[in-house]
Amino acid sequence: MIKTPLCDLLNIEFPILQGGMAWVSDAQLAAAVSNAGGLGIISSMNADENWLRQEIHKVKSLTDKPFGINVMLMNPHVDKIAQVLIEEKVPVITTGAGNPGKFIKLWIAAGIKVIPVVPSTGLARFAERAGATAVIAEGGESGGHVGDMATLPLVPQVCDAVSIPVIAAGGIGDGRGIAAALMLGAVGVQLGTRFLVADETNIHENYKDKIIKAKDIDTVLTGKSLGHPVRALKTSFTRSFLKAENDPSTPKETLEEYGRGALRIAAQEGDSQNGCFMAGQISGLIKEKQSAKNIILTLVKETETALKGGLQWVK
Amino acid sequence: MVFEKVVEILRNYKEEPELEVTMESSFEELELDSLDTVELVMEIEESFDTSIEMDSELKTIGDVVGLIEKAIA
Ligand SMILES: Cc1cc2nc3c(=O)[nH]c(=O)nc-3n(C[C@H](O)[C@H](O)[C@H](O)COP(=O)(O)O)c2cc1C
Repeated sequence: MIKTPLCDLLNIEFPILQGGMAWVSDAQLAAAVSNAGGLGIISSMNADENWLRQEIHKVKSLTDKPFGINVMLMNPHVDKIAQVLIEEKVPVITTGAGNPGKFIKLWIAAGIKVIPVVPSTGLARFAERAGATAVIAEGGESGGHVGDMATLPLVPQVCDAVSIPVIAAGGIGDGRGIAAALMLGAVGVQLGTRFLVADETNIHENYKDKIIKAKDIDTVLTGKSLGHPVRALKTSFTRSFLKAENDPSTPKETLEEYGRGALRIAAQEGDSQNGCFMAGQISGLIKEKQSAKNIILTLVKETETALKGGLQWVK
Repeated sequence: MVFEKVVEILRNYKEEPELEVTMESSFEELELDSLDTVELVMEIEESFDTSIEMDSELKTIGDVVGLIEKAIA
């Protein structure tokens, strides 16, 4: 059994969060993860408030356990979304892509637990000061939009910078990774890539097959020059994107346009010419499609083994 | 007054004692990315013992100075 203060804080059985993933994590996946004892998180990406309300109703019909909603602060509908989350009394909100300052107090006052994803100690301190419940320190090994810092140096520095609980994310795929994160001072972990291959994940089978086939060196960073780098599996899409990106004559707008919608195409159509299969460096470790429940139970068992094994080095 | 202190903090932050800064200097021109901006604004807030809304569009040094002046007025 793995228990940390995060379990009591979020009212969950195991300190494992399934990260919000645009076009990937819907009510079905989130409910499956929450029912298995973790915290499932629905991604609200750029959706509007009506879509979100439906997903919230759906997840509530599928589980009695706590769940979370990931809010992209760049979403043009973010003000209305912020309100719906209060009306629906969602248990947990995680935030990405932007500065949550303006909303944290509002949500906390409504009794919601707010957990921003942070890429640096500065933003972690800022989130703490704004009243956040905890932070997710996410390293650049992860899939999707990433920061510069790697998880191993980021997590202990964030732990030292703030006194609220820290959750580690980025590059964690099995119990060894979870044990390591706990040793760095985190009280929980958030995994994204590992849950891409869950049976309950509604994405094209090609996406899952690509993760299973991937080896360690099969991801690449694109969009660095645009200021928001994205980690994805190497495909003909990323190759032609990088070619365009490295050509100084390509206007920035053309590149932005190129990338837009590419994750949706990967997730729904499985098309590697035009789709961007966002995934983390840990893809190479993932060898099996499993139910969300079996993923969680496997992770917990492996973590116990890893943590107990650590004592062999203490003489 | 506020401006001078902000410039001093900025020069310290960038370790460039001669750095040219005006009210119109943008964070972008000063080669500060969004993470640097958060760090810097927090340092400025701490030194004035106040806090400002960081999500309001902060683009220039003048924006920060204006908000600090309002906050401590
Ligand atoms: C396909 C995909 C989409 C993602 N979309 C989002 C998102 O919309 N919002 C967000 O905050 N994080 C997003 N992430 C990051 C995850 O929530 C999580 O923090 C990350 O995947 C953890 O690293 P890992 O992939 O190494 O497990 C995404 C990740 C992936 C793989």
